[in-house]
Amino acid sequence: MANVLWLQGGACSGNTMSFLNAEEPTVIDLVTDFGVNILWHPSIGLEIGEQVTQLLRDIIAGTVVCDILVYEGSIIEGPHGTGTMNYFCDRPMKDWVKELAAVSGFVVAIGDCATWGGIPAVEPNPSESTGMQFLKKEKGGFLGAGYTSKGGLPVINIPGCPAHPDWITQILVAISTGRIGDVLLDEYHRPKTFFTDFVQTGCTNVVNFANKIDGGFGKRGNGCLFYEVGCRGPMTRASCNRILWNRHSSKTRANHPCLGCTEPGFPHNDLVKGSIFKTMKYLGVLPQEVPSGNSKLGYYMRAGFEKTMHALEVAVGVEKSHSDGSK
Amino acid sequence: MAIKKELNISPVGRVEGDLDVKVYMEDGVVTRAHTQAAMFRGFERIMAGKDPQAGLIVTPRICGICGGSHLYCASSALDTVWKTTLPPNALLLRAIGQATETIQSIPRWFYAIFATDMANKKFANKPLYDEVVRRFAAYVGTSFQQGVVASGRPVEVYAIFGGQWPHSSYMVPGGVMCAPTLKDVTRAHAIMNQFRKDWLESIWLGCSIERYMQIQSWDDLMAWSEENESQRNSDLGLFLRAGIEFGLHKFGQGVGKFIATGTYLHKDHYQKPTIEGRNAALISRSGFYDGKKYHEFDHLQIKEHVNHAWYQDVAAAHPWDEPLPTPLVSQPLEHSDFAGKYSWSKAPRYMDYAAEAGPLARVLMNANPDNLLPHQIYDPLFGDVMEKMGPNIFTRVLARMHEACRLYENIDEWLRQIDLNGEFYIKPEERDGKGFGATEAARGALAHWIEIENGVIKNYQVMAPTTWNVGPNDEKNNPGPIEAALEGTEIEDPHDPVEVGMVARSFDSCLVCTVHAHDQKTGKQLAKFKL
Repeated sequence: MANVLWLQGGACSGNTMSFLNAEEPTVIDLVTDFGVNILWHPSIGLEIGEQVTQLLRDIIAGTVVCDILVYEGSIIEGPHGTGTMNYFCDRPMKDWVKELAAVSGFVVAIGDCATWGGIPAVEPNPSESTGMQFLKKEKGGFLGAGYTSKGGLPVINIPGCPAHPDWITQILVAISTGRIGDVLLDEYHRPKTFFTDFVQTGCTNVVNFANKIDGGFGKRGNGCLFYEVGCRGPMTRASCNRILWNRHSSKTRANHPCLGCTEPGFPHNDLVKGSIFKTMKYLGVLPQEVPSGNSKLGYYMRAGFEKTMHALEVAVGVEKSHSDGSK
Repeated sequence: MAIKKELNISPVGRVEGDLDVKVYMEDGVVTRAHTQAAMFRGFERIMAGKDPQAGLIVTPRICGICGGSHLYCASSALDTVWKTTLPPNALLLRAIGQATETIQSIPRWFYAIFATDMANKKFANKPLYDEVVRRFAAYVGTSFQQGVVASGRPVEVYAIFGGQWPHSSYMVPGGVMCAPTLKDVTRAHAIMNQFRKDWLESIWLGCSIERYMQIQSWDDLMAWSEENESQRNSDLGLFLRAGIEFGLHKFGQGVGKFIATGTYLHKDHYQKPTIEGRNAALISRSGFYDGKKYHEFDHLQIKEHVNHAWYQDVAAAHPWDEPLPTPLVSQPLEHSDFAGKYSWSKAPRYMDYAAEAGPLARVLMNANPDNLLPHQIYDPLFGDVMEKMGPNIFTRVLARMHEACRLYENIDEWLRQIDLNGEFYIKPEERDGKGFGATEAARGALAHWIEIENGVIKNYQVMAPTTWNVGPNDEKNNPGPIEAALEGTEIEDPHDPVEVGMVARSFDSCLVCTVHAHDQKTGKQLAKFKL
């Protein structure tokens, strides 16, 4: 049994929408079968106005126990550190969060905005947004590097834009059923169970990656998106191709480049010219970022060899099977 | 002597994002209301100076509920600047994305956001209350569970073509990223079919889609609901009876003027995207309805007012001519000065009028007798419903739910029209210029304006449906639609002002859009709308 309070700051509600798509378990299963008691949620909570304010006061006073504080959206500190660009229940949201985080059993940050600032924190960061315990790659964020909740853990970060519903529900179930001890966190406080493998693991284009065959938009299954259209699958840790989205799909399976949204710093390169759906390159040829676990030089040499070999094999008619697509 | 009272409601809840409302009451009746959007992110500022395609990634993330709609606008706006060529398949797949997102929202909004209020104790003395609670109560209601679970199905189709929902960027200038196969199309048909069988026909209608689509007038609808037990006891049948019994047709009127930017660009009529050619290519038409007659939609008639929004004052201007907003210091609801600035939402006006956006505006445009072209939707039902009932909470809910059947049929037809031998994307040439893209998000008119200079974004302006609905007063101190709709509302229990929530929720307010894109707060003298 766990009481959950869910709040949104500088949010788009995308993680809530994602959460409502959860299948195993569904949101309703969570409530009816898994002992999750939602104290309040901005989209599905029944209380309004003063009733919500009173609930927050009761939690802070200790008369209502908050086992899990789920936070979606950035912490808005603007203007000038006041947080008044985001009022909630007549106070800056950040002031509520500070006091609630001090009394909650566990704090779960959901989505990139809550984990490390996300899109609102892109330059010039007009709302002075930050994440709960990180700002981009830098530890600290709003609650500070040393924060731990009453349950003894730092903020549990479930990044993604949005986070996958199963990542959310499974962590809520782990806490409410007393199994949070089995959840290991990585250097960015992400549960390792979801964020150890790369997006490329399970990608249907992985053979084309190996053979260095370029892909592009509107084409059917005949090329890897890493080379020309900026796919970040080889350097992004997430289980998108193992736990599929909406039960069927993933970006890369739909010929959509991975945007790297589970890594701190998304949107990468701060959206500068030439960074959107284009692979940024040196000298127009060499990718500026190479797959994780490779040195740049090593990767360029291996890739150069593969590409040359592949071109030769195609020229002599040996290899073409993997690059064909079919309706 | 009249008993005067002020009520500050922060948050209103179950609207997406932070909506605060201040109402002034006299003898329990709202005499004036101010809506306040309470959060600012500054997306337009973030996009300035960035890659021209930044909107494809950033704007869907303005709003997790209408992400596909933002993507539809962002890609369309770039199409008009870059003068792309769009293959018919691309137009179909974009329309399917938009339609699956909207049909998803229908049961999700009805059960999770709206109908739980009908289970509020306020209605406990009504004969149908027990049945309403049995079906619509949050989490435990039988239909609540089935409806919320069913709502996830249509976006599985979105995910098949876009990779995931929410937050895909699969619509790009020149087409779409995907190139589906027969198995994708077949699976999409099957999923939609399950949605139809598991919820739309079995739970919502109690009849076939075909039977429901025969309804042409309010009298037809009433006759339908009494035709047999299955229809009478369906969730729609129950809503029709309980909605009237609970008096939902008696409050929440609004400004009585309606705006729709229209959507679903026909596959054969928009291969050369231009702003001028857009109206004629729409399947669900755009327009402005002033309460008496229809006007052809012209985006140049739109201006945004900021004098009651927490931005530096500039004269009301068309989005292309607006500077990037400069945020000012805001105040909490209790300390806001409603004669001055009081919301993060700007106030859009069409021909200087406040106008309601949303499904009711759309179905009104569909009832325009001028919709004579074969690809345009013509559906007279809501012309008649508005004459008989006027705009109110009940009519607004009915309009939204009415769209489900047609959307189902559209999606089915568009899936059949995909040509697996055809193109899905034609690589465009990048260029500078001004662009405009629009659609109908589930909750109403959505538009993007872009200006690209020297290969980067110079100006990006987003106008969301909730900006139309929840925006504050304008330069003439006329109220926005929700402010107007709250006036005259009777609040039974000031400690549980469920009526205020119901009015706001009938507009399906989505503050997250409004706030990022603009500001959202309203609070001024409300205009009166008389039925």
